[in-house]
Amino acid sequence: MAKKPTLDLTKYVRFYEQMVYIREFEELIGKEWNNAAAHGMGGYMHLYSGEEAIAVGLIGGMDLSAGDCFIGHYRDHGYALAAGSDPGEVMAEICGKATGCSKGKGGSMHICDAARGFYGGYGIVGGNVPIALGLGWALKYRNQKNVCACFFGDGSMNQGAFHETLNMAQLYKVPVIFALENNGYAMGTSIERSHANQNLRSRVDSFAMRSVTINGQDIFEVHEQMSQIIQEMKEDPHPVFVEFKTYRYHGHGAADTPVTQSTYRTRDEVARAKEEKDPIKFAQAKLIDAGVLTNEMIADIQARAYASAEAAMKFSDESPYPDPSELIKDVYA
Amino acid sequence: MARLRYADAISSALREEMLADDRVFIAGEEVGQYLGTLGVTSGFLKEFGPMRVVDTPISEVGILGLGIGSAMAGLRPVCEMMRMDFAMVAYDQVINHAAKIRYMFGGQFKVPMVIRGPSGVGRQLSAQHSQSLEVLFAHVPGLKVVVPATPADMKGLLKTAMRDDNPVIVMEALRLYFEKPDVLDAILPGLSEVPDDPDFTVPFGQANVLRVGTDVTLIGYSTMTIQCLKAANILAQEGISAEVVDLRTLLPLDMATPIASIKKTHRAVVVQEQWGLYGCAAEISAQIAERAFHDLDAPVQRVTGAFVPMPYARNLENISFPSEHDIVIAAKRTLGR
Ligand SMILES: Cc1ncc(C[n+]2csc(CCOP(=O)(O)OP(=O)(O)O)c2C)c(N)n1
Ligand SMILES: [Mg+2]
Repeated sequence: MAKKPTLDLTKYVRFYEQMVYIREFEELIGKEWNNAAAHGMGGYMHLYSGEEAIAVGLIGGMDLSAGDCFIGHYRDHGYALAAGSDPGEVMAEICGKATGCSKGKGGSMHICDAARGFYGGYGIVGGNVPIALGLGWALKYRNQKNVCACFFGDGSMNQGAFHETLNMAQLYKVPVIFALENNGYAMGTSIERSHANQNLRSRVDSFAMRSVTINGQDIFEVHEQMSQIIQEMKEDPHPVFVEFKTYRYHGHGAADTPVTQSTYRTRDEVARAKEEKDPIKFAQAKLIDAGVLTNEMIADIQARAYASAEAAMKFSDESPYPDPSELIKDVYA
Repeated sequence: MARLRYADAISSALREEMLADDRVFIAGEEVGQYLGTLGVTSGFLKEFGPMRVVDTPISEVGILGLGIGSAMAGLRPVCEMMRMDFAMVAYDQVINHAAKIRYMFGGQFKVPMVIRGPSGVGRQLSAQHSQSLEVLFAHVPGLKVVVPATPADMKGLLKTAMRDDNPVIVMEALRLYFEKPDVLDAILPGLSEVPDDPDFTVPFGQANVLRVGTDVTLIGYSTMTIQCLKAANILAQEGISAEVVDLRTLLPLDMATPIASIKKTHRAVVVQEQWGLYGCAAEISAQIAERAFHDLDAPVQRVTGAFVPMPYARNLENISFPSEHDIVIAAKRTLGR
């Protein structure tokens, strides 16, 4: 890696703000889940709290307006918000409204934003990974100086599709960032109980693919490293596997209650992660230290983030459900 | 008789067969330590240990391979798919392998395994988690396909599946899992009742007349049998006597029972939760046309789900699969009303 350039701290204040926006958005959904039916929410509902720095830092290092793109799995609200999607449209999708980004047809697991290069969130574990190969292939095919990021969880690495894809990506040198969000668990199954080799990064060594491990709770590390890597991928197209170490605060989905969570992790473990590894607190402390963030700014950002989430919910609540005629539309192009 | 929920019937069938036959083991995601995604294997890990209740990675190909190979080698695996949609990841293991092994090797091997899991439309789970894909399995020689509607059939058919010497696909209706006995019994008295006898089983290939009637035959399976029963209740209020035939298994398929019913009522409505095109209802309608054409007083009506991926929005989801009212309308159409 090249010598570290001095940090553009105003950019990090913006990233900090984005992380707070995502957190407030997710926490509002978590809170309103008691009222899910009234809002139109249903399904599983996978929240991103605790993992914000990955989407914000990585997507923040891409140039979406110039053709960079990304694809994700079902824990996907944060990707869209990090890319600058309209929070109202994301919330409306989560509530199955006509104004949602997928017209209310996809729901929480299937957010997308074609205009921002977000090729969607997918619900089959590992199913999005091969598609990233194709997205990257198209970039290379057209000689674009662009990259594609593919977000997936540790659980995906136990799908055959993952291994076929990584082999081909390396063989064809496609510019795809395979962004593993290693939060330690696939639903209620820990890495220890599901991966024969628990050093997940080393599992891709057999493909001779470039790889790196990044602390996914540290927005500075995520962004600096990814910006550098993206630049190198644009100069010389190749895939990179990135293991982001992170932690999920909520249950796997809304059905993973405190009772079911007690089968695989302690309340203490969650509390400790929130205390010691929170990406927002971490960034906050560093930015205060650097003198670019003040307590007044923090309070202001917090208030605006909360207001933004509330406004998104209000926009959704005031939006109509899809017209019944929508049922049969968009089956074919 | 016990009054059970569908999910309880699954648990009790699995547990009884595991107690009765130590070759039986269960493999799947979250079946052990997590106590089952939907709780049906709660307590099993503690009772039977980790060789018989196997927590797996998210590796459906591996889970089904584990099942097929160990079945060929003499064990009796039950492979749980967290949702049957995920079996598509490992469709090759089912279609190109499990279904072929008996025939392809001239009867030298058998594959006594069960592939089971929740299926069908749920609560706003949208396109990738709401499918009823039984037709994809029922199309393939070498497989058996079970589609229970009632707690008793769920238990009895699952037990038969676990004793069968062939690969059996058990499609469990997610929407029925936690339906309360009171709710079921209000639709049809006794609907939630399950015999206590541990040797109670339900044979494959025997459709069941759940409600006797004279004017029209409603043919369904799984969730749609329940919809047919609700429709029959509405029709009864309007003076129309509907007979409800529950198919129970799609492969083998018992056509004798529905045809005997049609010979009496001369009218038939066939109902299926998802896509009608090339679907199970199409097959049943064709067989009725072949075998009972002259007994019909009206064209057979099909009631099927909309030909679309399942939408998320609640209002769209609700109109994407057949309601009891759709069935009522179709039944009246056969009566010219
Ligand atoms: C092929 C397949 N099998 C099982 C599931 C059910 N499922 C959905 S998410 C999940 C856990 C995935 O964990 P991970 O990949 O680590 O992502 P995380 O939820 O931790 O972000 C499981 C088992 C699925 N959606 N697809
Ligand atoms: Mg995970």
